[in-house]
Amino acid sequence: MPGALHGVRVLDLSWGIAGPLGTLLLAEQGADVIKVEPPGGDPFREYSGYAVWNRSRRSVTVDLKQPAGADAFRKLSAGADVLVETFRPGVTERLGIGYDALHEINPRLVYLSCPAYPEGHRFAERPGYDALVQASSGQQWEQPGWRPGPIFLHMPMPSMGAMFLVPTGIITALIAREKTGRGQHVRTSLFQGALLYTTQIWSWVPGGGPAYYGTMAKTYPPGVHQEMIFEAAGGEYVHASIMSGLPPIKTQDAILGLPDASDPERYLMLSPEERAELTPKRRAAFKARKREELITEFRENNHAIEAIESMEVALGANGAAHPQLVANDMIATVDDPELGPTTQVGVPIHLSATPGAIQGPRPLPGQHNREIFGELGYSDAEIASFTGRGADAQDKGGE
Amino acid sequence: MHALEGVRLIDFGQYLAGPFGPMVIGDLGADVIKVEPVSGDGMRMAGGPFFGCQRGKRSLALDLKNPRGIEIALQLVERADIVHHNMTAGVAVRLGIGYEDCKAVKPDIVYCNTWAYGFEGPLAKFGGLDPLYQASAGLEYEQGPVREGNTPAYLRFGMTDTANAMLSVVGCLAALYHQRVTGEGQDLWTSLLDGGSMFASDALLVDGEAYPRPRLDKGQTGLDACYRLYETQEGWIQIAALSDAHWEALCGAVGAPELAADERFATRAARAENRKQLESLLEPRFATRTAIQWTRALDALGVPNEVAYDTKAGEYVLFDGDNERLGLVAEYDHALLGRMRQFGSLIDFSETPGLIHGPPPLVGEHTVEILEWLGYDAAQRDELRSERVVYWPDDDYPWTN
Repeated sequence: MPGALHGVRVLDLSWGIAGPLGTLLLAEQGADVIKVEPPGGDPFREYSGYAVWNRSRRSVTVDLKQPAGADAFRKLSAGADVLVETFRPGVTERLGIGYDALHEINPRLVYLSCPAYPEGHRFAERPGYDALVQASSGQQWEQPGWRPGPIFLHMPMPSMGAMFLVPTGIITALIAREKTGRGQHVRTSLFQGALLYTTQIWSWVPGGGPAYYGTMAKTYPPGVHQEMIFEAAGGEYVHASIMSGLPPIKTQDAILGLPDASDPERYLMLSPEERAELTPKRRAAFKARKREELITEFRENNHAIEAIESMEVALGANGAAHPQLVANDMIATVDDPELGPTTQVGVPIHLSATPGAIQGPRPLPGQHNREIFGELGYSDAEIASFTGRGADAQDKGGE
Repeated sequence: MHALEGVRLIDFGQYLAGPFGPMVIGDLGADVIKVEPVSGDGMRMAGGPFFGCQRGKRSLALDLKNPRGIEIALQLVERADIVHHNMTAGVAVRLGIGYEDCKAVKPDIVYCNTWAYGFEGPLAKFGGLDPLYQASAGLEYEQGPVREGNTPAYLRFGMTDTANAMLSVVGCLAALYHQRVTGEGQDLWTSLLDGGSMFASDALLVDGEAYPRPRLDKGQTGLDACYRLYETQEGWIQIAALSDAHWEALCGAVGAPELAADERFATRAARAENRKQLESLLEPRFATRTAIQWTRALDALGVPNEVAYDTKAGEYVLFDGDNERLGLVAEYDHALLGRMRQFGSLIDFSETPGLIHGPPPLVGEHTVEILEWLGYDAAQRDELRSERVVYWPDDDYPWTN
C-alpha cells in the first residue's frame, strides 16, 4: 500500500535537525526523499540523532561548487516535486540553484527554505545553531530552572518547531499546486519554529491581568504542573495527572492514605495556602511508596500517571518498553548500516487507508549515486567526476 | 488565492492539543468552524493558553448531546474537507459524529482524532495533559537533569500539545493531498505520547543499550563547555564554538590564546572530556565584561554567539520592528479584550500566502451566519436557540472572553 504522498519526489539538501526530521515525516508517509550531500557526507553526521532523522531516504553526493555537479543537480531538480534547503539566505543563489533558477527549469517545483532566521531580519546573517536561536528568541529566559537566569533547553526547541513547519509548508504548497499547476517558494525558519512554542505563553492583550496570564506564567516556585512531580521510594520520580478524563474510583489522596482524601481535580483549584498545606503531606506519602506499585494503583483507579525516566528507558533500555508506545507501533527496529540493529522511535502519524512506514535505514553518503544519476543518463565516469568518488564503490556501500 | 483557500475544517475539539492544529490550518487560509458547547469551550477559563489556539476560527455554539445538534453538525461535515477533534475514546461515536457517521454524509472526508495516549492499547482510555508526555519522553528527566541529582523539570511551553497538534496538521494535509489526487478520504490519529517522543527522537538503542547523546549539566547551562550559556558581568551569553576554528577564535576573544595550544583542549573530544577544567577557566573570564560587550568581541573574531534575551514574557518579540515588518507578529481586535497580539505567519508562501483571519471568536459568535448558510430561517434559528440547541451572544453574554 503506497503512502499518502506516493509519487512526490523530494530533494533534501538540508543539514542538522529540522530539515532531516521534517522530510522524515514526508518520507514515512510515502514521499520519495533523496538526501543530497556534499562529497564526504552531511557535516552533521556525528549528531546522535542522525541515524534516526536521516532514515527512510536515498542518498546522493554532489559537489555543487563544481559546474558539472551543479548541472547534474539542476537536472535532478527538473524531475522533482520538492526541494528543501537550510542554508543561510543567499547561499543557494551563489551555487546557481536558487529559487528563481530552479523555478525556470521546473515551474512545478515547491522550493522550501528553512534558514535560522527569516530573510530580511537583522539576524539573518548571524550563525544559526539551535541554542543561539533559543537565546535570541527569548525562550531560554522563559524556562524556570534551579538557578536564576536563562536556562538551556536540552530539547533543541527551535529545530523541533521548524521540523513541523517544514512538512506543513511543503504539503500545503503541493495541495495549492493541484489547483494552480505551479510550485512556489515556501519559507520558514528556526526562529519561527521557536515562536511555534509560544502558543500557550505569549498571546498579548492590553488589559489581560492575572486571570489572562496566570495559567502558564513563569513563576518561582514553578506552577502546578511542576508541583505534580513527586518522588517515590528510592529516589524514583513520577508525574501524576491533574485530570485524566475518567471518573476516579478512589481519589489520589485516598490511594496515598491521606486522611483528607480530596478530589484530585480539585488540586488545580486550590488556593496557594491550601496547596502549601497539602503538598508536603502528599510528598511524604508518595515517598513512602514504591513507584511501580503507585503507578499500577493510580491507573487501576482511573488516574493517569507516568514514570519520569529517560527516553532510552521508554524505548526498552532497562527492560520492557513503554507499553503504549509499543501499542502505537512507536518502538521500531532498524538495521543501521554502521550501528547494526537499533531501536528507534517509529512513525508518529497514523493514517488508516494509506498507513505510513519506515522506508529503510539511513543511507550511507552517496549510496545511490549510480542508481539516481544513472536514471538521468550519466555514465559511471561522469558520476564519479562530480560526486567525489568512484560510482562502483558508492553502490557497494558508500563511505 | 490563499494557500488552503476552499478547504473547510470542522473543529469539534476543546482545550489545546485538539484546537491548535485547526488554528494552524486556518492560518494557511482554510475556513475553520469551531463547534463548541453552548456552555463554551471548557478551556476558556484559562485565558492566554486558550486564545493561543483559537484565532481566526468561526464559532458555532451547538449542543452535540441533542439529536438536532448532531443533525446540524453532520450538515457541516457534508460541506467540509476535514473533521478534527480530541475527544476521548468512544465519545465521538456515542455522539454520532464518529468517522463512519461523517463518512456516510461525506464519503471522502479526512477525519482526525488527536489522543492523549493512542487509538487502542493498555492506556488508550486515559485522557491527559501535556506534563505526562513530557515525563514519558524523558524531557523532564533530561531537563532536570535527574542523572545529576536534580529534580525533574517541567518545560513550561506545553510542547507535547503543540507536537500532537502539528503531527495532526501534517497528517491531515497528507491525507488531504491523497484525497485531492485519488479521491479517497480516510481517518487518522496522532497522540501526545507519540508527539512527545519525537522531541527525544535522537535517543536510540544499539543492541539494546543506550547510544550516547548530549546531556545537560547540573547547572542547566548547556551540552559542553563550548556550547553553553555563560553568566557575564551583566546578563548571559550563549556560545556555540563547535569547530576547531571557533575554539581557537574563542581563546583569542577571552584573552587566553595559550589555551588553543593546550593539549587538554586540543580537539572537540578532548574539550568534552575535560569540560569541568575548561569551564573553570572560562567562567571567571566571562564574568569580567557584560553580555553586550562579549557579543561584540566574539562577533569580531567569528565565534558564534548570542545574548540570551529576556523578552519580558514575549513583549519585546511581539513589538519588535523587524518581526512586525516581516509578518512574524499578528494583531487583531477582540470584541471584549481589545487589541491582541500573537505570533504571526510561521510559514510564508510566494504565490499563495496564508491568511490570519482575525481574533479568537466569542462563544457562538458566528452561529447565526452559519445556520443561515445551512438554510435555517430566522424563526427556525430562534426556536433552536430557545431550546438551547444553539447559542449566540446577546446582552447577557456570561463569559469574559
